[in-house]
Amino acid sequence: MRTNRIIERVLDHGVAPLLLVPSVILLFVILLGPFLYMVWTGFTDLHYALPNRDGAFVGFANFRRLMQDDPIFWHSFWLTMKFVFGVVLVEFMFGLGLALLLFHYIKQHRFILTLLLVPMMLAPIAVGLIWKLLLSGDFGMFTYYLRYFGLADQQTSILGNPSLVMPAIMLIDVWQWTPFVTLVILAGLLSLPKEPFEAAIMDGARPLQIFRDVTLPLLRPIIALVLLLRGIDAFKEFDKVFILTGGGPGISTEMLSIYTYRINFRDWDLGYGAVCAFMVYLVVLIMCSVFYKAVYWNEGRSKTVGKAAS
Amino acid sequence: MIGRSLVGRFVRSSASLAVCGLLALQGTEAMAWSLEEAAAPYEGTTIRTVGEALPPLEAMAKLKSEFESRTGITVEIEMYEHSEAVNKVMLDLNSRRGRYDFILQPHRELGRFVANGHLEPVERFMNDPSLRDPSFMPEEQLYQGLWHEISWYEGQVYGFPFTALNMYMWYRDDLLNDPNERAGFKEKYGYELKPATTWQEYTDIAEWFHRPDEGFYGTALQGKRHEALWYEWLNFLYSFGGDMLETNSGSECGPVVVNSPEAIASLEYYKSLLAYSPADSLNYTWDEVMALMQQGKVYQMIMWNDATYAVAEDHEASTVAGKMGFDIVPPQANGEPVGQVEGWTYLIPAGSKNQEAAYLFIQWMMEETQQLNQHLNGGATARPDVYAHPDVQAISYSQASMDTNAAARPKPTIPESPQITDILVRELSSYLSDAKNAKEALDDAAVEMSELLGDCAPLKYPVE
Repeated sequence: MRTNRIIERVLDHGVAPLLLVPSVILLFVILLGPFLYMVWTGFTDLHYALPNRDGAFVGFANFRRLMQDDPIFWHSFWLTMKFVFGVVLVEFMFGLGLALLLFHYIKQHRFILTLLLVPMMLAPIAVGLIWKLLLSGDFGMFTYYLRYFGLADQQTSILGNPSLVMPAIMLIDVWQWTPFVTLVILAGLLSLPKEPFEAAIMDGARPLQIFRDVTLPLLRPIIALVLLLRGIDAFKEFDKVFILTGGGPGISTEMLSIYTYRINFRDWDLGYGAVCAFMVYLVVLIMCSVFYKAVYWNEGRSKTVGKAAS
Repeated sequence: MIGRSLVGRFVRSSASLAVCGLLALQGTEAMAWSLEEAAAPYEGTTIRTVGEALPPLEAMAKLKSEFESRTGITVEIEMYEHSEAVNKVMLDLNSRRGRYDFILQPHRELGRFVANGHLEPVERFMNDPSLRDPSFMPEEQLYQGLWHEISWYEGQVYGFPFTALNMYMWYRDDLLNDPNERAGFKEKYGYELKPATTWQEYTDIAEWFHRPDEGFYGTALQGKRHEALWYEWLNFLYSFGGDMLETNSGSECGPVVVNSPEAIASLEYYKSLLAYSPADSLNYTWDEVMALMQQGKVYQMIMWNDATYAVAEDHEASTVAGKMGFDIVPPQANGEPVGQVEGWTYLIPAGSKNQEAAYLFIQWMMEETQQLNQHLNGGATARPDVYAHPDVQAISYSQASMDTNAAARPKPTIPESPQITDILVRELSSYLSDAKNAKEALDDAAVEMSELLGDCAPLKYPVE
């Protein structure tokens, strides 16, 4: 008894923080350390390709260049934002619809779900290569049927046309990631308590009312999570675009991650590249924070309203 | 008489002795160096290299086993797509890991590597009698202009040519000699069908053979946003009398002339060929157009010598092997032939842990026997004696390759040259995709290049 008490006291007052040390070190080494180094590099002129650019401190020069003298960065930024909002919205709508369909109308949905998950389980590089072949103007099956049904002429090239290529990449992303949204929302639907639905039916609520006033509010945390994950992931989109177009034609698919890669690993302008990477981080952080607040703001308000009413 | 005879005998004996002595000395010298002895200290070593996955490197991979069995040095070869091979090396050099003991890189990277102290000059090995094979004399055995252009930087030698690359015109010789095609062509255009000697003829021929409904195209452009686009356009740029910088050698900086009227005209002409190229041309690099030619779907294009073997000679890989013809690209308006020189070079990184063993392998690969073998299997040698070999003379593309080598222009190797390439690739692609007109695209490129290079590179054609 006495020994146990001593151990408890030591754990409570001394050793517990020590046990956290390995995790903290790991966190620093793989996350905080590189991040701080990236921020520091952003204040230098470090350039691996050019002589005499060995990392001298240049203050905010790189940030100034990004804000004032780099139209391609801002083109990439807005292109990426359009991509993120476009694909996340469509994936959410399709994902929610499919999840509801599977939940309500298909009893044995395991097999269908497994089939649905195939695109998601493919490596992004493989997805890029598959679609590159499918969309090929010479022998691509997709292009063949577009021409067969008169939707495209002989000179139409989806990946070579600046106005078609971005929608095509967005559709591929929707094809790949809608199953993920479906899976998560379906898991959420399966875990919801039955009582609120039974009560709503007893009260005579119509299906649409049940969906709007019971299902959606109960699913809110799950929806928030899946939108957040997809938003972050879409913002970092790289592999498919790299394989399919390399950012072209021109700069029509040069998304932020491709541009940042180009500055860092093609031009080796690491000082400026660090600022671009920092901006990607900053935008993701702000996006997540705004989004998180937006999703939980209503919940907070409804709780406050509920308390006031009672 | 006796005296004379004695003197005569003495002189003859002395002369004979001297000759024998010289022969013996020569023999001793020859005996003094052997690959096996030179490599003995490095037996058991493994050396690693990296390069582009194309026939020249594949041929080297087949040859290396002889070197390995003679020296006990193992050679590991990593092959990647062009950009990937360049990136792997930059990562390795910048991280100073020393993964690669020697590297194979395009020569536009040379200045960047030298300026950052990534390379070991090979003079040290060449001056070391224990390593230098006395029969290896690059000063006499290589095309000197090419060697200096792709392996030297600011008067210092850093390596030896792995491939002497150039681009020339590929066309379907079987169709060129088809009587029906010839008659039809003459009737429509009023002159005999022959390999194009002007760009107007090139267009006429492309138009004549362009039959998209039959899956056959007049030409195929490498229009993807990729280095291939820049390389291809350079043929047109040079032929129209333009250039990127006004300099005399690749390691010089000079005024930016990439937006000259000649350059703009060359770009506009280049784009006009899209009308006779497959719909997907804006997604093509050299890989795709080579595959199209192998499948027999294109009449003519401008392509690389190191890719020619796989199309023209390899009957297993190509449906048009034995049916191809080759010629230098149409010359400038004044009739002067022009071509571009490009080369991948054997280089030894400063961080390599097995520099001597790497040098021995490179030196061995530069021998005539290996060069001939590599060239016959898809290589692109920089040794004139190999080109003179009857087996090489018999290859269908040797003459076009030699003619282009003779007319080749230098291109920038300064540290900024890869960035210049990147800027131009982006702007060319913007023009091809109708985002800008030719003048806007080249003006934008010129301004960016001038800013990148600084005071040494003013704009010769100011941008308003």
